[in-house]
Amino acid sequence: MQIKHKSTIGKLPAGLFVLFLFLSESVYAQEVNSVFRDDRINALITMVLFSAAVLLFTRWARQGKPLFLRKIAGLDAVEEAVGRATEMGRPVLFIPGIDDLDQIETIAGISILGRVAQITARYETPLMVPVRHPLVLAAGQEVVQQAYIYVGKGDAYDKDTVRYVAGEQFAFAATVNGYMMRERPATNIYMGAFFAESLLLAETGNAAGSIQIAGTGRPEQLPFFVAACDYTLMGEELFAASAYLSHEPVMMGGLKGQDLMKVLIVILILLGVLLTTFTTDIGVVFKSWFKAV
Amino acid sequence: MRTTAPVIAAFVTGLAMTVAFFLNEKTPFVGEISNQLLDWLIIIGGFTLLLGVVSILRVSWQSVERRKEGWIYKVALIVSLLAMAIPISRSPLFGRFEGSIYDWLFMNLQAPMMATMFATLAFYIASAAYRAFRARTPEATLLLLTAILVMFWRVPIGEAILNQLPGDFPYFINKFVMNGANTAVQRGIIIGAALGAAAMSLRIILGIERTYMGKG
Amino acid sequence: MGFWERFENMDRRWVYLMVGITVLIPFIIPMKFPVSVSPEARSFFNAVDSLPDSSVVMLVFDYYPSTIAECEPMALAGARHLFKKHCKIITLSNIPYGGPSMAESVTREVAAEFGKEYGQDFVNLGYKYGYVSVLKGMGVSIESIFPTDNRGTPLSELPLMNYVKNYEQVKFIFEVADNATADFWISIVNAGYGVPMGVGCTAVMAPKFYAFVGAGQIVGLLGGMKGAAEYEILLERPGTAFRGMDIQSLVHFLIIGLVLIGNIGYFVTKKRKRISGV
Repeated sequence: MQIKHKSTIGKLPAGLFVLFLFLSESVYAQEVNSVFRDDRINALITMVLFSAAVLLFTRWARQGKPLFLRKIAGLDAVEEAVGRATEMGRPVLFIPGIDDLDQIETIAGISILGRVAQITARYETPLMVPVRHPLVLAAGQEVVQQAYIYVGKGDAYDKDTVRYVAGEQFAFAATVNGYMMRERPATNIYMGAFFAESLLLAETGNAAGSIQIAGTGRPEQLPFFVAACDYTLMGEELFAASAYLSHEPVMMGGLKGQDLMKVLIVILILLGVLLTTFTTDIGVVFKSWFKAV
Repeated sequence: MRTTAPVIAAFVTGLAMTVAFFLNEKTPFVGEISNQLLDWLIIIGGFTLLLGVVSILRVSWQSVERRKEGWIYKVALIVSLLAMAIPISRSPLFGRFEGSIYDWLFMNLQAPMMATMFATLAFYIASAAYRAFRARTPEATLLLLTAILVMFWRVPIGEAILNQLPGDFPYFINKFVMNGANTAVQRGIIIGAALGAAAMSLRIILGIERTYMGKG
Repeated sequence: MGFWERFENMDRRWVYLMVGITVLIPFIIPMKFPVSVSPEARSFFNAVDSLPDSSVVMLVFDYYPSTIAECEPMALAGARHLFKKHCKIITLSNIPYGGPSMAESVTREVAAEFGKEYGQDFVNLGYKYGYVSVLKGMGVSIESIFPTDNRGTPLSELPLMNYVKNYEQVKFIFEVADNATADFWISIVNAGYGVPMGVGCTAVMAPKFYAFVGAGQIVGLLGGMKGAAEYEILLERPGTAFRGMDIQSLVHFLIIGLVLIGNIGYFVTKKRKRISGV
């Protein structure tokens, strides 16, 4: 799938930012003492650096520079896991997290759902996507339908593939557990935000004999998924999944920008540790630059 | 238009909220846009609840109509859903406060069921721990030993036993395991996840990432 | 199949049965193990104890009824401590499923003990959808987000809310949570408005919040039922959490025992396979 991009990425945001500031400051300037929040300058600098890194690598990627990504076993296993389900004649269960669509983890889960739905559509494997929020239902249905149309299997799309099961966390878990024990899906994929029901789902899936791939940004749920699932994506690997599965250079460029930022954070942490340990005044000043916004 | 309009909406609203973060809340125009968008989010959220109710009723009714396996449970679901939709007034019986039918159903049926499901986690944790904690590799052995020490530390009698051993084990676990290694790992994962989320948000705002719409 | 092989491949339902029996034992033989207090719980308690009398505090009920066993003792202990110090309590919830009801039942129960009056000493704002919007909106005006309390009374008719307009008048946030809303309270309210806060959470979430305690973003942490028991001990009023520590202790020992025996079985089986050349 090709994404068409225009070269407005750099110019339009800057222009609108200036316009917003101009409107805020010039029209009603007398009523507000200070428009800009000085205590958030450090966040602004971080945001500018981060955006520049992501956009720079995106641009390089579009220019065709090769970008290396390390292997993520969980994502490589997705197609194989769906193939297993096809061979066994059993469905694939995909849960895009249990949080609402305004959470970035859920959006990441929905993005991965689109990729998985393409694979299941191609192999004609039944797919079941239980969701906990109505907005996620709407987004999930759209994504799965588009996936089926993209691989030319639009007629095979069943509207009830994505279904709202319950709004309450444990009612959702109970419903999904019941489905797992009755239908025995061959593959369970959990991608998104999960809470206490993560172990309930993963253990039941394990008992049902499913191969399980999980990914979440919640560090407190990772131990449960690691214990009960065959593959686990940790933290940022979930957000990288969409780019990783698509292999599109433009999206992979974003990942490289993110890595550059991580390197910068590591350098700052080391610098901070050294300055705070071996100096007093400079260390205090350095620490004050990172005061919470 | 079907693709472009959502991308433009995401871009404009994302930019407005980002700019508003760096400006004084009482800033006219930008501050007002930001507050309006937050209010809209609350209103839209209320309407989307209807979407979920319609979906669940439709799927359940289809199962009942076609007498699919387990259709009787779908009848129970529909009846329960309608029963919990009772609160329509501020009356003591048909409202939603203490003493009403809704409150009784919630506190005596739903709340215990929710607590029961959460309680089953204890059983699942026991079976998962029994299956997963095997000293197959040096790293797994370290994990196993740390887990046992922390499990001892978290309960009174376990802490009392640790206190009998030479050295201050509870202090060691609190300082070096919970506040040391655990905190470092949690921070690492939180920072990584936050950067990943920020990068994804940036891609969505700029329209690079459109997979959540089913496009791209 | 030998004993160890059978033990290693034991049906998980035997494990469930063992856990079930272990949970019942303390009901028959109460043990009352002594509870020591962690530095994080003590720090939380001291922060609340050092609040000036009559301070306005937000006691947030961000937990579902499913975690009532872990979280309600914290909320009860917190409410008792705050009323003991004559603090004014504003309760709210970001949880639609029973949050306001639990806030209502806890605060009214404790208010009756201390002779506190609704509207004057405590107010229940209820629930509103969209926690990010709610937390940000309350920074500007609480009334814009909650024009009425949980029972529909306009805030202007409640004496307490006449002088509490936004976070500036709130001196502390006592957050009891079993989900990610605690993260948003820290990142939006504590980081954005500088209101000190302490977090009580389920045991599963507690390891994550050590990072925030270390960074000074929260003054203290109550982790799970143990944390609640610690707060009850500090308040000198042992309650359900303290009694629950007996059960927790025995089940922990059971799990440790199963893990150790399972590992013995693993090594014995591995050795046998090596000897037999499999």
